[in-house]
Amino acid sequence: MKRAGRGLLVAIVLIAVAAPWLAPNPPDRQFTTYLYAPPTRVHVEAAQGTYFHPLRVVSRLERRFEEERDRHVRLVWFDGRLVASADGNDPLLLLGADSYGRDIFSRLLYGARTSLGLAVLATLAAMIIGACVGGLAGYAGGLVDETLSRLSDFVLVLPAIYVVLALRSVMPLVLSPRDVFLLLVGIFGLIGWPIVARGVRGIVASEREREYIAAGRALGASPVRLLAVHLLPATRGYLATQATLLLPAFILAEATLSYVGLGFPDAVPTWGTMLHDASNVALLGDAPWTLAPAAAIFVVVLAVNLVVQGSGESPLLR
Amino acid sequence: MKGRLLGIVITAGMLAAAYAFWRSADAPGSIASKEETRTRGGQLVGSIRAVPRSFNRLVAREQTAELLSLLTQGRLVRINRSTFELEPWLAEKWDTSPDGRTFTLHLRPGVTWSDGQPFTAADVLFTLQAIYDPKTESVVTEQLTIGGKPIAAAAPDDHTVVLTYPAPSGPGLRLFDALVILPKHKLEAALKEGTFGSAWNSATPPADIVGTGPFTLREYVPGQRLVLDRNPRYWRKGADGAQLPYLDRIVLQVVPDQDAELLRLQAGDIDMTQSELRPDDYVAAKRAESQGKLKLVELGVGPDADAFWFDLKPEAWKKDPRFAFVSRREFRQAISHAVDREAFAENVFLGAAVPIWGPITPGNKIWFSPNVLRYPHDVNKAKELLKGIGLEDRNGNGVVEDAQGNEARFTVITQRGIGWYERGTNELRTQLARAGIALEIAPIDNGALIKRMLSSDYEAIYYRPLTTDLDPAANMDFWLSSGSGHFWNLPDDESPARKAPAPRAPATPDWQARIDMLMTEQAATVDLEKRKQIFNEVQKTFAENLPVLYFVAPRLYYAHNARVLGVAPSVQRPPALWNADAIAVRH
Amino acid sequence: MQTRSQSGIDESKSEAMLRFLVRRLLFAVLLVIAVSSGALLLTRVAPGDVTANLGAFAPPDEVARTRARFDLDRSPVAQWGGWALRASRFDFGDSFLYNRPVGALIRSAAVNTAILAVAALALATLVGIPLGILTGSRSGVLPAAVRGVSLVCLSVPPLLTSLFLVFLASRTGWLPPGGMTSVDAIDASWSAWMLDVARHLPLPALALALPLAATFERLQAQAMSETIQQPFVVAAMARGVGWRQLLVDHAWRASLRSMCAIYGLAIGALLSGSFIVEYVTAWPGLGRLMYEALRARDIYLIAGCAAMGGVFLAFGSVIADLLLFAADPRVREGHAA
Repeated sequence: MKRAGRGLLVAIVLIAVAAPWLAPNPPDRQFTTYLYAPPTRVHVEAAQGTYFHPLRVVSRLERRFEEERDRHVRLVWFDGRLVASADGNDPLLLLGADSYGRDIFSRLLYGARTSLGLAVLATLAAMIIGACVGGLAGYAGGLVDETLSRLSDFVLVLPAIYVVLALRSVMPLVLSPRDVFLLLVGIFGLIGWPIVARGVRGIVASEREREYIAAGRALGASPVRLLAVHLLPATRGYLATQATLLLPAFILAEATLSYVGLGFPDAVPTWGTMLHDASNVALLGDAPWTLAPAAAIFVVVLAVNLVVQGSGESPLLR
Repeated sequence: MKGRLLGIVITAGMLAAAYAFWRSADAPGSIASKEETRTRGGQLVGSIRAVPRSFNRLVAREQTAELLSLLTQGRLVRINRSTFELEPWLAEKWDTSPDGRTFTLHLRPGVTWSDGQPFTAADVLFTLQAIYDPKTESVVTEQLTIGGKPIAAAAPDDHTVVLTYPAPSGPGLRLFDALVILPKHKLEAALKEGTFGSAWNSATPPADIVGTGPFTLREYVPGQRLVLDRNPRYWRKGADGAQLPYLDRIVLQVVPDQDAELLRLQAGDIDMTQSELRPDDYVAAKRAESQGKLKLVELGVGPDADAFWFDLKPEAWKKDPRFAFVSRREFRQAISHAVDREAFAENVFLGAAVPIWGPITPGNKIWFSPNVLRYPHDVNKAKELLKGIGLEDRNGNGVVEDAQGNEARFTVITQRGIGWYERGTNELRTQLARAGIALEIAPIDNGALIKRMLSSDYEAIYYRPLTTDLDPAANMDFWLSSGSGHFWNLPDDESPARKAPAPRAPATPDWQARIDMLMTEQAATVDLEKRKQIFNEVQKTFAENLPVLYFVAPRLYYAHNARVLGVAPSVQRPPALWNADAIAVRH
Repeated sequence: MQTRSQSGIDESKSEAMLRFLVRRLLFAVLLVIAVSSGALLLTRVAPGDVTANLGAFAPPDEVARTRARFDLDRSPVAQWGGWALRASRFDFGDSFLYNRPVGALIRSAAVNTAILAVAALALATLVGIPLGILTGSRSGVLPAAVRGVSLVCLSVPPLLTSLFLVFLASRTGWLPPGGMTSVDAIDASWSAWMLDVARHLPLPALALALPLAATFERLQAQAMSETIQQPFVVAAMARGVGWRQLLVDHAWRASLRSMCAIYGLAIGALLSGSFIVEYVTAWPGLGRLMYEALRARDIYLIAGCAAMGGVFLAFGSVIADLLLFAADPRVREGHAA
């Protein structure tokens, strides 16, 4: 199962990286005739190849569409994109279109990039800060260790989502997507470092007593060298596990923030903003495909759980 | 391994079963037919979006305060929001003097406040005194001020009020629909102390809120709900002679989220909302109607429409050369030609909209003029007009520019988070690109938008300013160049136009001066037909010069629980509860 | 001889208990002060303030009055000082949004959140622990199937479960799709109110409890399977102790240690998860209140909510420590925990 989990994670990362090629449409293109359109039904026939019938609107208000049986739109393969519609005005909508006529499937793929990219960068930030602080605390010991440990304990005790919420709300509401991205990386990094620091500190503190470190010190190695070359690399395993746990936590945090309107602006495709679009629960029955981002988040968390199962930790207990 | 797989399969199976079940929960129910008789009793649950900040309608403008005043307070006269006719209310009948400036109102006898005190002319005088007191800072004072002067009131006896207008007023007594009459015996002390403005705020105990309306406030749980009970002392009787209101109780739940509102409406948790449906929610309401749960009502064409305008204040553009062509009416006429209004209605409002060419929509039945100049969709004509003022695409990049190379490229600000603003601006951008005008859309939040609008810090705006009154005389601040609501060319003086209306800046174009003169005239004309004639002229001039562009007006839909009877729908908010005393529920 | 050593042990036990409680109380007070002061100062320092709610048309003297009302015209330190002084008398200031004292608002919201948290915790415990004992102590198709379901539930965060459950409720009508009380319960008696809340409780409680129950199940199973392999269990089996008695009396008790540590973390997770569940299901609790306060920059309400949150946190960690104390004889004896 561990392997299945790892494989799933790798697959997701690959999909995210390859999004511009895998996505049939640009994520922000609004196909105005296809507002709330259902997923395209693709036909495969020996003679015609792969094609679909374009949709005609019967009632926009009632979201009723009709296939134009007499028209066939071919699918084009491997031409800049994996697959796309041959006609620019009648797109291939694998998961239908949202309230602005944008392709949900493409947005999902591009959203993976933003959401995963944000989570990865935030995880890196948390790890770097945590490793430095933890390493320092573990090596120095004494008062430095005491203060830093108290500080990280204090931050750990706080419920993460409230701190994130508070830090985000006090910043201006309307920011450009780039600013939101950087801000969230910063906030998540600030929330994530204590858990890393704690573990690193423990490992460094115990490794510090070992003979090879004493030998190094005797040979005149500086503390920085000892930390960088010997002690911190000893935490590799721990850091790897922590990274796997922090990733889904940050994806969830972004989804929660965007869902309540404090994350990315709606136009930016991320899993959180797409979930926000689907928040009109009354309409889910007619358009269940809008829940695709929920499924995506679920898959990522499941993959992580498969990888770390049995280690007694859970990304949800953050 | 096998077991784990089994576990996942079980979960998937349960989900599929649940999905099948709720798909099947679409069983059509019975649909109510024909007019049912309304009986006394029962409780209605409505939803409101925001907590009331004050229970004093004279100082609070927001929708919840308005709703509460409709439920708990009374007015001298009422404008029926379905038929737009003036109805006697607390004033049973009135005589008008020949010059139309003096009204002698005879108050309805036997009316008492909800605490038993008799309602007399003293209360009317008191209320007028309160709104004209500058310490109150009332929001209705401007509406009841004619030419900068207050309306004089006298009470020859307990049940007669004589109102003398300082100048002839077009709307006449209709202005008093905005004035809720508040009890002297409860608020006199506050007025004397100068604290009337903060009296009856949201921390006031409900028992102190006394009124002549069909309901009384019984309970307010902050942030959660308001409970109103029937006022046993209510004066009105129904058409069948029954004592109104029919309902025993109205509960207003605070549901800040419109999505949650729709959900609870469908589930039967709430009976009605206080605003129309969004076009995107129509399909869910229609489905619920076919199941017999809700009744879907078409309210008609909305009285307000999304507007698109450029800042026409010369000082705002300073030396920007683009202002040279923005200020030309041909530029705006070209835009009006370039927009395909049918496609606009389809793509922005999902088809539920009608094309319009001016600020008055067909929803404003009395004042709408169908003879306003229309600009048919013609991209070539648009390009011609642009060429006529020197704008051509000389360098072939798809955007027109003038002889000096200044492109017709503008930034449009709009309120973020509103679906039809975002769709509308996008549609506008796509359509205007065909005529060679490039737009960049910048959605910003409402507070920032209003700030920039008031300080003329923008190039173009796409927004829907709401009007509270359908009578153009009540919207003078929009039409007059000196008005505080004259958004596209705000006067330099920030204070509200309490002074006599007059053309303001020396750079007022002729047509604007003409509008100023005509509007002033119609506001002072008493005869409705004559007023309509004058106002048609105003609309014509407006449409020829297009300071503001309008494209479509939305058709409004509303849904309420099928068990609610007697709803007289209105295009204004609240769509149903404005007439709460005549509403009943099936029980 | 024996009595003396016993009383010696008792003395050290009560001493340890006292020291522990005092330390914990100190920690709790410090936590509450730190969290609420931090929130207050953060709100104060950040751009924008509560007057943004008055709208762009607000007259300047009303803006000034509002600023003065919330001490925004004084320096941050002075404001904090004034607030802290009043807070020590349990006066937490006023809320702009609701025009009421903060204390009253916090009280009712905290009670609602507590009801939800307790219900979710109880549900998670009742479902997760027994299932964990089951799957940790034997193998076969059923335990493996439970493990699979658990894995799925683990991977669905409270945001998704609450969305899903609200949708389910609205389509099937089995449960009310949100809120805490229906309107019918206004004039009702206490018991009717309880019944009404009980009807509305399952939806948010389930949304919170599902992933938590799965976590408990996984951890209990793991702890259980570790404990079963311990020598003393094998020895007991050899002595002929029954399987069920073995499980409950011997193995489970020993596995409680790691469970109690998790309970402490679970409190934190409950508080975090409850925010989004309260938001989606419109449960009028502390999370929703804090969110509204943050959006509106209602400074004293924010500080009050943070203080209450701190109280919950401290309370939760004290409970977790007490549980650990009770469960692990090694801790009781004063040995290293």
